Amino acid sequence: MTRRRRSRRGEDTAINITPLLDIVFILLIFFIVTTSFVKEFGVDMNRPSNAPVQERERADVIAVRVTADGDVFVENRAVDLRTVRANIESGLARKPKASVVVVAHRAADAGLMVRVVDQARVAGAANVSLAAAAE
Amino acid sequence: MAVRYARAEDDESEIGLTPMLDVVFILLIFFIVSTSFVKEPGLSPERPLAETAAAKARGNILIGVSATDAIWMHKRRVELDDVRSLVETVVVENPESSVVVVADRRASTGVVIDVMDRARAAGVSNIAVAAEPEA
Repeated sequence: MTRRRRSRRGEDTAINITPLLDIVFILLIFFIVTTSFVKEFGVDMNRPSNAPVQERERADVIAVRVTADGDVFVENRAVDLRTVRANIESGLARKPKASVVVVAHRAADAGLMVRVVDQARVAGAANVSLAAAAE
Repeated sequence: MAVRYARAEDDESEIGLTPMLDVVFILLIFFIVSTSFVKEPGLSPERPLAETAAAKARGNILIGVSATDAIWMHKRRVELDDVRSLVETVVVENPESSVVVVADRRASTGVVIDVMDRARAAGVSNIAVAAEPEA
């Protein structure tokens, strides 16, 4: 039936594109409205799992401790935040393949923790991981 | 000139819709491709400064931690125990999801680490902490 009717009309009819245009415009407006160009800047965190792992040799680790009061210790030596980078650099010079473990107290400021991890990364540590200090 | 030209053409001519349709389709495709339904946390804390902060283009699950250690997801306050299931529902929709913890610089490290652990338990391996790039 339909086929016959179509052939009778011939080629002079054009496809009506108005409904298509309506839908396309609605889609366009939807995507324009919902698009949010959020660009978040961040520092990647390496948080080792709690599963038992092979214990690293002590010599391979540079431990950086952040206390609740905001003091920073690099290998049990109290240092200023601005010298964290230099201290880690000299530590890495002594043991080049060491990975840095930032042990932060639970009550320490997150900002300070991020800065210490960042400074360790600037110092050239390939592997910076984060740990929470035992209570 | 132009006015006379238009009048000479009169009503016989129709506006060609084809170029406009082309442009509309290109816009549509652009917005479809660039849309990433970012789950915004609903608060904008003071981010910590970091020198190695890099743009996280794929970070689409943002979890906020305020200065008072309140956790925000999907524009409302959530409890720590709900973080895992909320992240899991997003991961089911988009397995490539990555998490950015947007923590205030005065938030406590313990809460940030807890949130990161919950996100990892939900199956996200790519976790970062938001930071403001330092000039």
